[in-house]
Amino acid sequence: MTNFYDLNVHSAPECEDSPERLVSVAKRYGYAGIAITNHSNFWSEATGEDIISGIEIVVDKISDLKKNIRDYRSKVDVLLVHGGDPKINRAAVENSSVDILAHPSRYINQVLAKSAAENEVAIEFNLDELIYSRDVSRVRALSAFQTNLKLARKFGVLMVLTSGARSKYDLRAPREMIALAGLFGMSENEAIEALSKTPWNIILRNRKKMKQGYIMEGVELI
Amino acid sequence: MKNLPSSLRERKRYVAFEVLSAEKISRSELINEILASASSLLGDVGANLCNLWVLNFDGKRGVLRCAHDRVSMVRAALATINRVQGVRVGIHVLGTSGTVKKITETFMIQVDHTP
Repeated sequence: MTNFYDLNVHSAPECEDSPERLVSVAKRYGYAGIAITNHSNFWSEATGEDIISGIEIVVDKISDLKKNIRDYRSKVDVLLVHGGDPKINRAAVENSSVDILAHPSRYINQVLAKSAAENEVAIEFNLDELIYSRDVSRVRALSAFQTNLKLARKFGVLMVLTSGARSKYDLRAPREMIALAGLFGMSENEAIEALSKTPWNIILRNRKKMKQGYIMEGVELI
Repeated sequence: MKNLPSSLRERKRYVAFEVLSAEKISRSELINEILASASSLLGDVGANLCNLWVLNFDGKRGVLRCAHDRVSMVRAALATINRVQGVRVGIHVLGTSGTVKKITETFMIQVDHTP
């Protein structure tokens, strides 16, 4: 069976539900685990069974981004950067310490897609925008997703599908996420990979780096 | 009026679902919300093609009827529902089947009614 992971979920103290509550709903929906990725101003370490510790760094200035990455990189398994601003998007995809550029909105172009592929920074498709917006704003969200998908395919950028849940009512089961991703042209196989293999590889990669004695890819102190 | 012979009826799929909600919601409120959400997402034309109807709903679990080739669209439409009459909800599809009998046996019989 495929192991599904949702890598963008917000919990208490930022939002109402506790990490345990969210993970129990997610497990019922068929996830193997979720990452608790509170925004950096609310961050506290979240641990527990099937909970992956994460963070979503929110900054206005690029210099703050670098400082935040230094502070948090060794503490979390998944590091997201709150995107949507052209300058922040660019800085995030150029930094290989970043795992995921969250909701980049429509500010992704061929230059950013190329650096994202080189630095193995995944682009997030945050389906929260399809669930909560209606009419014109949903059409805009779909069109941004469609463009990002096209660029990601062309340049081989990693993609992750997330719910961006802020409460247990916002979580959606993997099959529903796949159906939502189909609305902007993502194939079933791509969607499954964006919910299972890609998130798991990100988690593994970081856990390996945090192991004692790790120096760089292929070099380890024994 | 005579019923249509089975060869002339539309082909259907039945979708079992479960609603996670803060307060109890009624079947009619849920039907209205599902149709509204489908027509918002797929347009009136697309919503009609889905041939949607809620067969039964006990406040937690229910069965939905749809066109046999529109299941993924229906899943997407269900996923975009976040509130019913102001009550926060999340809808989760348990499974699909081609007959009412099978879906009831698989997903509805073991409903726990204890409060």
